Amino acid sequence: MNNLTFGRYSPFNTFTHKLDPRNKIFLMIVLFVCVFLKVTVWSSTLIIAGALFLFMICVMLISKVSVLSLLKSLGAMWILFLFLLIIYMFVPNPAYKADHIAFTINNYPVYYDAFIQWGYIVIRLVMMLMVTMILTSTTKPMDLTYGLEWYLTPLKLVKFPSHIVAMTLSIALRFIPTLIDETNRIIKAQSSRGVDFNHGGIFKRFKAIFALIIPLFVSAITRSEELSDAMEARGYDPYAKRTRYRKLQFHLVDLLALIIVLLVFGAILFLVIYNNHVSQVDIIYWISGVHPII
Amino acid sequence: MQIKINSLSYTYLAKTPNEVEALHDVSLEIPEGKITSIIGHTGSGKSTLIQTLNGLLLPTSGEVHVGDYVVTSKKKKNKKIKELRKSLAIVFQFPEYQLFEETVEKDVAFGLKNYGVKEAEAIKQAHKALEEVGIDKSFYKRSPFELSGGEKRRVAIAGIIALNPDILVLDEPTAGLDPLGSKIILRLIEKFNKEGKTIIIVTHDMNIVLNYSDHVVVMNDGKVAFEGTPSTLFNGDISKYSIDVPELFKFVKILEVKGMKLDLSKIRTIDDLITQLKEKR
Repeated sequence: MNNLTFGRYSPFNTFTHKLDPRNKIFLMIVLFVCVFLKVTVWSSTLIIAGALFLFMICVMLISKVSVLSLLKSLGAMWILFLFLLIIYMFVPNPAYKADHIAFTINNYPVYYDAFIQWGYIVIRLVMMLMVTMILTSTTKPMDLTYGLEWYLTPLKLVKFPSHIVAMTLSIALRFIPTLIDETNRIIKAQSSRGVDFNHGGIFKRFKAIFALIIPLFVSAITRSEELSDAMEARGYDPYAKRTRYRKLQFHLVDLLALIIVLLVFGAILFLVIYNNHVSQVDIIYWISGVHPII
Repeated sequence: MQIKINSLSYTYLAKTPNEVEALHDVSLEIPEGKITSIIGHTGSGKSTLIQTLNGLLLPTSGEVHVGDYVVTSKKKKNKKIKELRKSLAIVFQFPEYQLFEETVEKDVAFGLKNYGVKEAEAIKQAHKALEEVGIDKSFYKRSPFELSGGEKRRVAIAGIIALNPDILVLDEPTAGLDPLGSKIILRLIEKFNKEGKTIIIVTHDMNIVLNYSDHVVVMNDGKVAFEGTPSTLFNGDISKYSIDVPELFKFVKILEVKGMKLDLSKIRTIDDLITQLKEKR
């Protein structure tokens, strides 16, 4: 069950931890946009992606997010990457240049471009994973929901129940660790009855999953009923006006982070626009004056 | 089967900022065919200790010998863990949460089927186990979720007993039960012990320790703080372990203060006390 700990909040006190969650959510969206900006010349795209990747590695190191757990979750995704590779290799794409054939399998041509496209999508996925990981492991789940609630507040004008949505979200987030503990407990209890969750054929494992899922559901439903009773007993009213114990505040560090990320965003946006609309010249050529190999 | 624990350590979430050392260099021997209680306050490492016994948790260092089986930190060496779990079975806290089958008898037979017993034979053995824990025949075909808390727990225990383990480990078997329910469970445990099974109970209830167990282990901060008989424990200074005095002992101590001379090492139940009082008359 260790892979479930991906992106779990880790209590450090770094620069990233100190940021306002609202700010962090905004910055995450900006970085997502950065990741998906695309330049027509592939080598420029890879250079931009590489620079962004380095930037994110720096942020990860500053935030003390474990690179090991990133690698672990990437390890869990290898089958997806393999699947993507196969798709890129064998789905014909008119954009691939005819003289870029790498090798042929039974007279079916496989292009260099396929590998480049694949590499780019993998880098994008990895960077998305990194951004999400940085956000969730430096922000307490509760702060995250407060941040989200803040973004949903304008929707109150159109009678959107933003508080109820935020409460539902925060309860769901709050119970993830509880459910993980519960799952571990049931796995242990069933293992003591000879269930083997890790070995055996598909049918056996399927049966084993039943022995886990049913007790888990039963206890989750019981728990939710108890929770709603407990909330009602303490006079919870979703429509009442509420005050906050913890107030979100925009500090100087937030401004700093905002400026840094916006600078990165601006630089990338400039390169993209310049490369796509002003000059098709390769960035490598642009910077060093040397033509790339392909 | 004998249990021998050699300088066992266990760390949760090792190498992360949240790491906690739950067990530190624990060496123990648990006597065969006896009832052993493991006590200690919350977080002292009791539950971790019992989970390493059948390899649910692999030790960070050190090893556990159960009969011929060995549990070590090296994954590859622990090949026979499934068989070990059949001989050393753990009944977890609130075992009723592990019930999931449609009927009581199927749930009890579930464990047996995992060990390759055929359906019909498994149901037969399940009936035997259910009879042993005192569940009436009329319950066999009912859903386990319809039963009361105490009945569910007995069904869950039957599910473990059906495996016929040599060693039975129970984590807080009486938590959340009414006095009658607790008594039924404890009588069962005594019965299993008389049938020759080694019993390990993790508990917070000192009355259970005094009345039922032959041997007691006190855990404190992941270390063994005391090992011996219950009467030695309660006659000594127990304030340092932050545990309670059993009700019976409180009463006996008052009698002593009032001038009654009693042999404390021989008092385990109310009947023992009555015998001693009769002798005095």
